[in-house]
Amino acid sequence: MGEFTEMTAAFSAISRFVDRRQRFFFPAPAVAVLFLIIVLPIVFNLYLTFTKWTVGLGQPQFIGFDNFVEAFGDERVWNGVKVMVYFSGASLALELFLGLMIALYFNRAFRGSEAVQAIYIIPFAATPVAVALIWRIMLNPEIGVINYMLTSIGLPPGLWVSSEHMVVPTLVMVDVWKWTPMITLIVLAGLKSLPQDPYEAARIDGANPLQIFWYITLPLIRPVLIAALMLRSLDNLKEFDMIYTITQGGPGIASETLYLYSYNVSFGFFKAGYGSALMVVVFLVVLVFNVLMNRLRRDASAV
Amino acid sequence: MANVILKNLVKRFNSVTAVDDLSLEVHDREFAVLVGSSGCGKTTALRMIAGLEPITSGEIFIGDTLVNDMDPKDRDIAMVFQNYALYPHMNVRENLGFGLKIRKFPKAEIDARVQEAADILGIHDLLERKPKELSGGQRQRVALGRAIVRKPKVFLFDEPLSNLDAKLRVAMRAEISKLHRRLGATIIYVTHDQVEAMTMADRIFIMHKGALQQTGVPMEVYAKPANRFVAGFIGSPAMNFIDATLVREADAWYIDAGEFKVKAPAAFNARLEPYAGRQVVFGVRPEDIAAHDPAADARAGNTLTARTDVVQTLGAEIFVYLTCGAHSLVALMEAPEQTLTEGQRLDVDLKMVKTHVFDRETSQTIV
Repeated sequence: MGEFTEMTAAFSAISRFVDRRQRFFFPAPAVAVLFLIIVLPIVFNLYLTFTKWTVGLGQPQFIGFDNFVEAFGDERVWNGVKVMVYFSGASLALELFLGLMIALYFNRAFRGSEAVQAIYIIPFAATPVAVALIWRIMLNPEIGVINYMLTSIGLPPGLWVSSEHMVVPTLVMVDVWKWTPMITLIVLAGLKSLPQDPYEAARIDGANPLQIFWYITLPLIRPVLIAALMLRSLDNLKEFDMIYTITQGGPGIASETLYLYSYNVSFGFFKAGYGSALMVVVFLVVLVFNVLMNRLRRDASAV
Repeated sequence: MANVILKNLVKRFNSVTAVDDLSLEVHDREFAVLVGSSGCGKTTALRMIAGLEPITSGEIFIGDTLVNDMDPKDRDIAMVFQNYALYPHMNVRENLGFGLKIRKFPKAEIDARVQEAADILGIHDLLERKPKELSGGQRQRVALGRAIVRKPKVFLFDEPLSNLDAKLRVAMRAEISKLHRRLGATIIYVTHDQVEAMTMADRIFIMHKGALQQTGVPMEVYAKPANRFVAGFIGSPAMNFIDATLVREADAWYIDAGEFKVKAPAAFNARLEPYAGRQVVFGVRPEDIAAHDPAADARAGNTLTARTDVVQTLGAEIFVYLTCGAHSLVALMEAPEQTLTEGQRLDVDLKMVKTHVFDRETSQTIV
């Protein structure tokens, strides 16, 4: 009997303890999972950054900042930065420009505009690797349909991704084809939410359509443009599946972005320490770019 | 400055006719108020004058120029919008100067005109602010300023005061009137508020269902409404309408409303003659109903017995809601010495010479 009371007392003490700390107990499983799949890999990656470790050959060795020093002198790193700036600069600029233009076009309702918009969205909705595979086949200089079409109308065939000089522009073209619709969608939503009366005021004030675009639409839509650019840049700066599927960074290293190089270092050469360090560099580039953009966006939306 | 002429102006949206054969002339330097209830086509008419709305048919002249196919920017007009329509990303200075900048005015001229407008409207302190940092009244001033700097031939106002609170609205009414005198400009002002129309207009244009009902100086449309719509629209509180029959008795015409019968003044006789025995609508303004004066001539036949329903005190005056059988009437009277109680019997006199009789079928004024 005495034992029973003691047990009951112990149970109720435990249950009181749990009750009072519900806010810790209930999220605990989720926190544990997040810790395992997000925090731990990041921490491990940061740790590897300071080590020399070839996967499968012994333990990671602590080498301080040597990986970053090595990266600084690595020509392939500089090539990667160059390709990244070239590819991302060109594709982001084109996507933003075309996205805005097409959004402006779609913003004026016309017969069948909904159907056209639906078709226009398809590239954006398609699976990236599948899209890349099909482009790779189409771009093949020997059997690809693109050269077939060019030659059949009397134009010279191109080497496309087989040419050192044409590979990045070609990848930019594919990226623009796939992702401009996303920018369009975001900008179109922004355009539709703009106030209408300033436009009438501007017409009365004497502005022509070009002036209305320049003085009214562009400033008003700027925060949306920057937000779309940020969103797109997150993926674009570490574009992987499309480039990897089509060129694997080739020919040679002509389309090897920093991100692709860090992948090759880690999973091609199994140099996990150095690869991690390069990954951190990519991360810093994305971070700095977006912090700058966000500041720009805040200035722009402070109307 | 210029006059504005509309000739047989029509606007259809699909099957809906918003403006129906509207013809009118606004004189040079006139303050014209287009007034009517919402959906009467007044704003559509204004937007057609501005060039923001294509014309279905008809002609618009500003000055002596046919402007039908002219862009808004070439019509030399300025417009003040109901929602101000300020450029949200520009500060007040840039908002005011935008129209001049677009028209390639020299910088010094723009600065001078912005200063001048800021002086007139007292918005000097706001010049560097963005619209969202301004109150409704301040935004309204900026919108006015943007129109003023352009020095256009014609100002168009689209319900500019309807988003302001009551007190500010009264103050702005006076300011806009002053502005009109100072600028000596032609103004076309659209409003649904008949008080605005009465207080500000040189001439009122009353619209209903897309068509012009009556044009005239404020007192004229108040005293001599052309039809039942105008009679009910102008004046606050609105005129009382009572279905009645015209009957001729030995000495005079009587307006017989069943529950009461009042004698029409002799001056009405000639006009009433053709309507003998016909169904009419009798109209009497609240301010033309007074408490019965026992000293008055009993043969005047203008007294009716009613019961008070609700009494509202304004101070010097009172609103009395009366019932007389099935009829209800509102009266605006001087506050009596003895407080009226609700539900009491009250004899009232009608100022018969000020009353109106309308044709029940056509709604046109008979007298």
